[in-house]
Amino acid sequence: MVLEATMICIDNSEWMRNGDYAPSRFQAQADAVNLICGAKTQSNPENTVGVLTMAGKGVRVLVTPTSDLSKILACMHGLEIGGEMNLAAGIQVAQLALKHRQNKKQQQRIIVFAGSPVKHDKKVLELIGKKLKKNSVALDIVDFGEEDDGKPEKLEALLATVNNNDSSHIVHVPSGPNALSDVLISTPIFTGDGEGGSGFAAAAAAAAAGGVSGFEFGVDPNLDPELALALRVSMEEERARQEAAAKKAAEEAAKQEKGGEHPSGSQDATMTENTPPEAENKKNDLTDEENALLQQALAMSMDDPSTGHDLRDTDMSEAAVDDPDLALALQLSVQDSTKDSTSQQTDMSKLLADQSFVSSILASLPGVDPNDPSVKDLLASMQSQSEPQEKKSEDKPPKEEDK
Amino acid sequence: MACMHDHSCEDHDCSSDWSLYKHIDLPKVSALNEAIPGSVKSVFKAWEERLLSSGDNLESNEGDPELLVYIPFTSDVKIKGISIIGGANGTSPSKMRAFINREGIDFSDAQSMQAVQEWDLVENFQGVLEYQTRYSKFQSVANITLHFPESFGGDTTQIQYIGFKGEATKLKRDVVATIVYEITPNPSDHK
Repeated sequence: MVLEATMICIDNSEWMRNGDYAPSRFQAQADAVNLICGAKTQSNPENTVGVLTMAGKGVRVLVTPTSDLSKILACMHGLEIGGEMNLAAGIQVAQLALKHRQNKKQQQRIIVFAGSPVKHDKKVLELIGKKLKKNSVALDIVDFGEEDDGKPEKLEALLATVNNNDSSHIVHVPSGPNALSDVLISTPIFTGDGEGGSGFAAAAAAAAAGGVSGFEFGVDPNLDPELALALRVSMEEERARQEAAAKKAAEEAAKQEKGGEHPSGSQDATMTENTPPEAENKKNDLTDEENALLQQALAMSMDDPSTGHDLRDTDMSEAAVDDPDLALALQLSVQDSTKDSTSQQTDMSKLLADQSFVSSILASLPGVDPNDPSVKDLLASMQSQSEPQEKKSEDKPPKEEDK
Repeated sequence: MACMHDHSCEDHDCSSDWSLYKHIDLPKVSALNEAIPGSVKSVFKAWEERLLSSGDNLESNEGDPELLVYIPFTSDVKIKGISIIGGANGTSPSKMRAFINREGIDFSDAQSMQAVQEWDLVENFQGVLEYQTRYSKFQSVANITLHFPESFGGDTTQIQYIGFKGEATKLKRDVVATIVYEITPNPSDHK
């Protein structure tokens, strides 16, 4: 968590129109800039970040170093592409902007995105590098875009003159399937000199590496930290409850008493807990994780009723103490099981298929609108899942009756 | 402005006069254009140890003899004199300029600003030379920045010892020194 003031130098020259980095070089650069700003401000709340453009009509400072992320994101809108990049002037202006930072205790750092050819000599760049080193300014260079003859060497020479004790870095990003930001996440530019890095960078890196294009639950913890936290907490609570239920089931499967009810009780809770997070999820899709959990829950209700069903114990006060709907559901499930053991598999699905029942539960939950299209889709999908199962069990009884 | 010790130091204990090094806020000492980051801290020691070089002197970068040293004190001090031991072979600094109570000075500021006092230095390997200050200007010094623009012809500037002579007052300038926010505590910060 080094206290740092950073100036990011953006290349908005004509070369940035190229599409070899999806969707365009300029867009890839903008995404990387947003990520870097987020990482810096998260790693230390007193960090400041500023942005300037190197091409266009001339070097222009868009934002002086500030810790306000929204200002930085706003200034990235409406940037125009054109002109040629002036690397030397860009770095010098960045150095000047850092010199006038408000908090003199901050370390100075410049991050340069060099996408177009570098027209300066090595000598000029080395002079600039020496001046940066003398004033203890660190420099990170992102070499992407045009692969000019001599461009990597020039940039490496610049880095060599600036580098003081490994505080400066260079990254060469070739064009390819990986997004610029994904490649940068794992570099020391993001993780900050191997101090352990910021939690943000580590989490983003893990998410990117895991192949999930984004974060848990499809919600960006930066854009909406409270929602992400709420989702995470409810998921953990649910897991804890399931574990407790499984434990109890294991205990009582040995005694063969109450075993079936608790899983089915927690089954209901699982269903209702899963739907609010999904309903609130603005991205409107059942992510693979939740589907898997849903399947797991269904599987649990399939398995357990078959074990301890003979000894039905109607003492369900523990499970249903708070929620009268839950009590009703449990009773229904109990009654159905006592009636017909072969159709036990369809208990859960029957309950779910009972749309009015489910929507009444949903309506009682805060923040869930049963008329929400995403909720309706979910119910439809659950129904379609339960239908083949119903068909299966309906096939069975007729067969048995035949016999 | 320099005065020579005309007595042998066994007679009276010079070291007590040069005890201001105890009031230097060593963790916050910093230097610009030093070849090895952090080496500046080794030049502040007791007067008896001024000639013992532990190997890491303050040295400027190759080819650039300019040095800028920022020294904060733990309380306000009055500085009577400054002593500098430089390096051999022309690597001693030849000039010294002092700025008082200004933070965040860098080379361009140092070159353009008027210093509180400037001295022409001589090569002084025994550390017996003391450069007197205009005492009235150095009455309540919370931090001092020393700028060494040139050396005696060497490629770099080396400094082995910087000593301050004077008195410490008990007054402190800033009550709140550093603020650490712990919104997301990171154990590696507390090592």
